[in-house]
Amino acid sequence: MSKDKKPSGAAGKVTGFFKWLGADLADIGTTFTKGDWKTKVSFLIMGFGPLMRKQFLRGAAFLLLEIAFIYYMAAFGIGYLKDITTLGTSGRGFNPDGTVSYGDNSFLILLFGVLSIILILLFLYVWRLNVYQNKIGEQMLREGKKLPSSKQDFMSLLDENFDKTLMALPMLGVFLFVMLPIIFMICVAFTNYDANHQAPAKLFTWVGFSNFANLFSFGSTGFGKTFVSVLIWTLVWAFFATFLNYFLGMAVAILINKKGIKFKKLWRTILVMTIAVPQFVSLLYVGKMFAADGLINGYLMKWGLISSAIPFWENATLARILVIIINLWVGIPYVMLICTGLLMNIPEDLYESAKIDGANPIQMFIKITLPYMLFVTGPFLLTQFTGNLNNFNVIFLLTTGKPQSMNLTGGAGYTDLLVTWLYKMTLDQTDYKMAAVIGIMVFIVTAVISLVVYNVLPSVKDEEGFQ
Amino acid sequence: MAKEPKVHMQHKKLSNAIAYVVLILISIIWLFPFVCLVLQSFRSYILESGGMVNYLLPKTFSLDSYKFLFSKDCQFFRWYGNTFIIAFFVTIFQTIFILSVSYALSRMRFKGRELLMRLWLVLGMFPGFLSMICLYFLLKEFGLTQEGAIPGLILIGFASSGMGYYVCKGYFDTIPKSLDEAARIDGANRAQVFTIMLIPLSKPIIIYTALVAFMAPWCDYIFASYVAFGYSDSYNVAVALRRWVWTNDYQGYFTRFCAGGVLVAIPITILFMCLQKYYVEGVTGGAVKG
Amino acid sequence: MKKRVLALLMTAAMVSTMLTACGGSGSTSTDTTTPAADETTPAAETEAATQAPEDIDYGTGEIMVWVAENVQDFTEDQIAAFQEANPQFAGYTVTVQPVGEGDAANNMLTDVAGGADIYGFAQDQLARLISAGAIAPVTGDYATFVNEQNDAGAAAAATVGDTVYAFPITSDNGYFLYYDSSVVTDPTSLDAIIADCEAANKGFYMEINSGWYQPAFFFGAGCTLTYEADAEGNFTSCNTDYASENGLAALKAMIALHKSPAFTNGSDLSKATNPGAIVDGTWDAGVAQEKFGDNYACAKLPSFTVDGKTYPLGGFGGFKLIGVKPQEDANKYQVCLAMAQFLSNEETQLARYEEAGWGPSNVAAQQSDAVKADEALSALAEQLANTIPQGQYPNDYWSLATSLGDSIIAGDYDNASDDDLMKVLEEFQATCESYAQ
Repeated sequence: MSKDKKPSGAAGKVTGFFKWLGADLADIGTTFTKGDWKTKVSFLIMGFGPLMRKQFLRGAAFLLLEIAFIYYMAAFGIGYLKDITTLGTSGRGFNPDGTVSYGDNSFLILLFGVLSIILILLFLYVWRLNVYQNKIGEQMLREGKKLPSSKQDFMSLLDENFDKTLMALPMLGVFLFVMLPIIFMICVAFTNYDANHQAPAKLFTWVGFSNFANLFSFGSTGFGKTFVSVLIWTLVWAFFATFLNYFLGMAVAILINKKGIKFKKLWRTILVMTIAVPQFVSLLYVGKMFAADGLINGYLMKWGLISSAIPFWENATLARILVIIINLWVGIPYVMLICTGLLMNIPEDLYESAKIDGANPIQMFIKITLPYMLFVTGPFLLTQFTGNLNNFNVIFLLTTGKPQSMNLTGGAGYTDLLVTWLYKMTLDQTDYKMAAVIGIMVFIVTAVISLVVYNVLPSVKDEEGFQ
Repeated sequence: MAKEPKVHMQHKKLSNAIAYVVLILISIIWLFPFVCLVLQSFRSYILESGGMVNYLLPKTFSLDSYKFLFSKDCQFFRWYGNTFIIAFFVTIFQTIFILSVSYALSRMRFKGRELLMRLWLVLGMFPGFLSMICLYFLLKEFGLTQEGAIPGLILIGFASSGMGYYVCKGYFDTIPKSLDEAARIDGANRAQVFTIMLIPLSKPIIIYTALVAFMAPWCDYIFASYVAFGYSDSYNVAVALRRWVWTNDYQGYFTRFCAGGVLVAIPITILFMCLQKYYVEGVTGGAVKG
Repeated sequence: MKKRVLALLMTAAMVSTMLTACGGSGSTSTDTTTPAADETTPAAETEAATQAPEDIDYGTGEIMVWVAENVQDFTEDQIAAFQEANPQFAGYTVTVQPVGEGDAANNMLTDVAGGADIYGFAQDQLARLISAGAIAPVTGDYATFVNEQNDAGAAAAATVGDTVYAFPITSDNGYFLYYDSSVVTDPTSLDAIIADCEAANKGFYMEINSGWYQPAFFFGAGCTLTYEADAEGNFTSCNTDYASENGLAALKAMIALHKSPAFTNGSDLSKATNPGAIVDGTWDAGVAQEKFGDNYACAKLPSFTVDGKTYPLGGFGGFKLIGVKPQEDANKYQVCLAMAQFLSNEETQLARYEEAGWGPSNVAAQQSDAVKADEALSALAEQLANTIPQGQYPNDYWSLATSLGDSIIAGDYDNASDDDLMKVLEEFQATCESYAQ
């Protein structure tokens, strides 16, 4: 894929691509003109050449793929593909007897239109492979070599081509259930698919960049102000959720590892229970504990410590602080587990020699422990950070993004992360177009941060460094 | 000279005492919600109140909430069974998928390998909820929603799991390649190397992968409710329980929610405690490898 | 616009008289879009008239019904009775699934094709459902049935534009005051209730961050907020005057309420840990009796005082409806309509009241002794005199109202001047108006 390494920059890549394309087309041409009749027929009937050359397995595979593709397109794909530019024209109608007759379904047109386009591209690739196979086959016969038999082909799938056997199903799964939906939703960001344009009763259509314009419009009904507010909170949250957990988790690990502390396993087990108990049980419960009339406020008032309930979830600032604190409860055990193992890897003599130099525990921590841990767990911190950007459960189960405010539009609240906002938009408001736009924004934020941090991390640069 | 160690000892004793106090405090904080949960589940929704109260200890100890879950008015055990079936099959298929992908990416160098890894990394940066609606309709095309929700959820559970190969591949990378080479010289093909040699060496990571896969379906309250789509026979336990506290149709189901939560938490916690060693190995390895 | 509001108020007044007095005949509504009951015909007559002839072959099929879980078994029994009485429909297999009124509309909107054929929902979802094509019009004899047998508010709630879309099953979706009579001495004044609750260390619960409870203040102070929708479910115009002296009074009353330590935001009695009084609906009557025990009492909503002026708390009178999904098969459509009608007729409504305490919308059922003797329902009936029948509201309105409520509860306006508050109201009103095209 990246054979063209010489030209640098985007422009270089584009010209490189065209060069490659030209060469490839030329190769197809010469294969056709110079090929024998079996090869020529193969251009139309895939796998014909291999079949005639007694490579039955390969030939049959190509032929079956072609038949399947043609069948799919004729019976199914074309019907959807032809409408992809409009996403359907005929709407629903009611018959005189009160029954309904549905017209075009924009959703399915878009979904299967996208699928058909991808399948066409894949088919072109397979077709190209078919041409290449013919060329190689012919060449080998001309040189007097023996072509691999079907049995050899089959056995190779367990040996030198074992990767294809292993990867086939997982790749298909990822393609069908991750990639296709993502491409579909990216397309949705450019349509007006929302509560008022919902298949099958209504049609939706392409609207260009107007949803993006809405996200960045700072008028009273635009999403701009809210988006910025939610984005900033998402970043602040991810920062605190990651680093507070990290340092406090490390502290707990050091505490448990401390010499002379007994029952190490017990302390660890107690903490680890939070990982084992499903969050929808534990967090829902913890959330209710802090309600205005919940257990915490109830006891504080009973003991006379406060006269009126503390508005834990009603006050935006308190709610934000509280979700970060409760997230400590969720996150510290993970960090503790990870740090426990790593702390024991630090050579003991480093500490001994530091002690002789008169360093106190804090100095030792800053000079020895911390640099080591940061170095080793750099990638972990990165994944934690991006994970926290999308930490749906903690926010959703505790606050569902509330409190809302007149200063925010689109149903967003002060503790909403981009991802919980996206969820509410999908489910409560069926505003799929804006949900798709926000989803793309989440991707951009995650990608940018990952890219920047990845290039700064020392442990990525020289992976073998500490080993 | 003789005095110094004594001061040192006292100092150590004091700091250990502080450490114990802190640890005990931490333990209380961490265990408190669970203790509450268990206590609430023993409050009778018939005699006292099934809703929320501002006191901790139930006035009388009662098993009413548990009795309700076991009674025939409640489909709790169907939901529980559904979840178990989903978790069981997802565990098997997901482990196979992850092992396969990890082996291929760790041991073999094929065309497009780098591109594939990069593509999957990029795909992983899109939030999962984005494609929820699309996945629902895709599953529906296959007839895998509502009545078919259980196989549907199994399929969705493992289909894209190949993307989560990082930890396992990292583990495979640490097994010396020379072992493979030796086996291949002895005439084994790659499939044999994988199944006969590598898998037995990877017990910890297989258990880790399986454990993570097994736990996920018990916590899925979002997508599972989408796929079951109002068909209560197909609910998993998370979807069903969450309705008891989140929708207004269920007044005073809180203690029953707690009881259900306890019943869900017990087996998972036990499983987790038994396999904790492997879990720690997995997360630690994963954290370092990234 | 004023005319329409007036009409709505009149229908509301009428509903309440029918509920409380032994009303034999109602009055006519002046609103053209509100087909009101001209007279209440005995149930049995229309029942017979709308029944389909028995010799048509309706074929076979499957029908999915969504109702709240506490009436699931009840509905199953009713449908069995329906099929027994109508053997021509016996070819249809009916499944009843527990999907409550809250979830049903959201689910229907997600996937109409996968949704139920017959489902119950709260009326505020109607416009959304129409707009998404998830509900079929109710025509002919069935429309007449809806208009004639139900109270005018319920019939209006099932109608958008000039088209009837659903069968009303309850007209109890309103709220009033439950209180602990050992705590609250004077349930007619909000200030007194708050003072009593504060003194007894109890909570006064009202969900002021909900678009449903919040208008109790605004409407009570004399404001209006209504939308008009066309038959397609699109909102065509918004009629509101929140940004006014009255609106200001309502907002100030809510701010004052939130400042009281007794105030707790919420309307779910089973989750309220320390209630002295709560603004809630009939569905929580059982929980209220359990919580307050011998001191259980209910009353219409109190009045509130701002700057020396006293206003009664108002609010919505809402309805629960049963809708039929648009069908491609004419026979199944007929079966569904007949079944939905059966599930909303007088006998079923009465039986449902007996079973689950849902207050009927059927005029004849409302006159039954049991319903009239119901304490909670009579408190509601009294309250209904101060409410407007809830019309259709855009989905965004509910979220906007939550935002306003959350801002109040968070204390954003605690020290705001009247001018600042007026700006808030102006923005609220402008946003409300922007929802109508």
